[in-house]
Amino acid sequence: MSTSAILLALLGGLCVGLSRQLNGRLSVGTSPMVSSFWNHLVGFLALSTGGALIGAILFGGTVEALIPAGAFSAPGYAYVGGAMGVIFVAAGSWLIVRIGAVATAVFTIAGQMISGVLVDLVHSAGQIGWPSLVGAALILAGVALSQLRPRG
Amino acid sequence: MTQLARSRSYAVYAVAAFGAGCLLTAMLKCNAELAHSANALFASWAAHGIGLVAAIVLLLVLRQRPWRATAVKARIPLWAYLGGLSGAVTVIATATAANSVLGLAGTLALGLAGQVIFSLAADLWGLMGLKRRALTRYDLSALALIVAGSLTIILFAGRGA
Repeated sequence: MSTSAILLALLGGLCVGLSRQLNGRLSVGTSPMVSSFWNHLVGFLALSTGGALIGAILFGGTVEALIPAGAFSAPGYAYVGGAMGVIFVAAGSWLIVRIGAVATAVFTIAGQMISGVLVDLVHSAGQIGWPSLVGAALILAGVALSQLRPRG
Repeated sequence: MTQLARSRSYAVYAVAAFGAGCLLTAMLKCNAELAHSANALFASWAAHGIGLVAAIVLLLVLRQRPWRATAVKARIPLWAYLGGLSGAVTVIATATAANSVLGLAGTLALGLAGQVIFSLAADLWGLMGLKRRALTRYDLSALALIVAGSLTIILFAGRGA
């Protein structure tokens, strides 16, 4: 049971990379924004189909399956995430053809982790534990080291 | 281009990617809020729908068409349009894994590993028609430090747990 969970979690990560690679390839013939448009169109259709299928199996095909009761109780800003995603996907395509998959992945992860630690720092009024500080220091050291790379 | 100009543009790309990562934190916060009110599948479905509308608006503003001249389009393989499908699989796989014994922290840590493994293979072999890239010792050391730092935060600081 937990083996399948481990494989699913790994698959999730692999698909993040695969998605960026595919969108990057599409952007070469078009543009990062066009690539982001197709990413959202195809993703929306896939999730609509997946949602409808899951709904049909688990809930007998009620609307509740796709749009759960609590959907409209979310704060308005929660819906802005989708628009951020468009920029995020376009940025990934723009970057991956310029600096490659590894650099795009690690600098994005670095930004995600450091901003996460900063959010925690503000929320906890400065009371964050040593793992966050050690982790952030390691990440910043990695980013600094990458900039020493000889170019040629 | 001189060596200096090259590394300066590399720094610009690194900062841009770092900024995209910060944007991801804000985006995941929004999506988590939606998932909390409804569920993970709805959150991602709604985010893709809103993203689709936002993408159409941006294309109109930028005066870009979703397709180009036939000659250019012919060189784009059909599978290159499937990035969104891979994204949808990510959502379902991670939502399922996060609800298992792994929890969110375990899912994030393994997801990070999966992403790094794929990106190494992608640069090594030039997957999906993108350029092959030789990785230097600097790249690999930076990768190791960033992964170690991220795992420290995910597993020991309880970020996301």
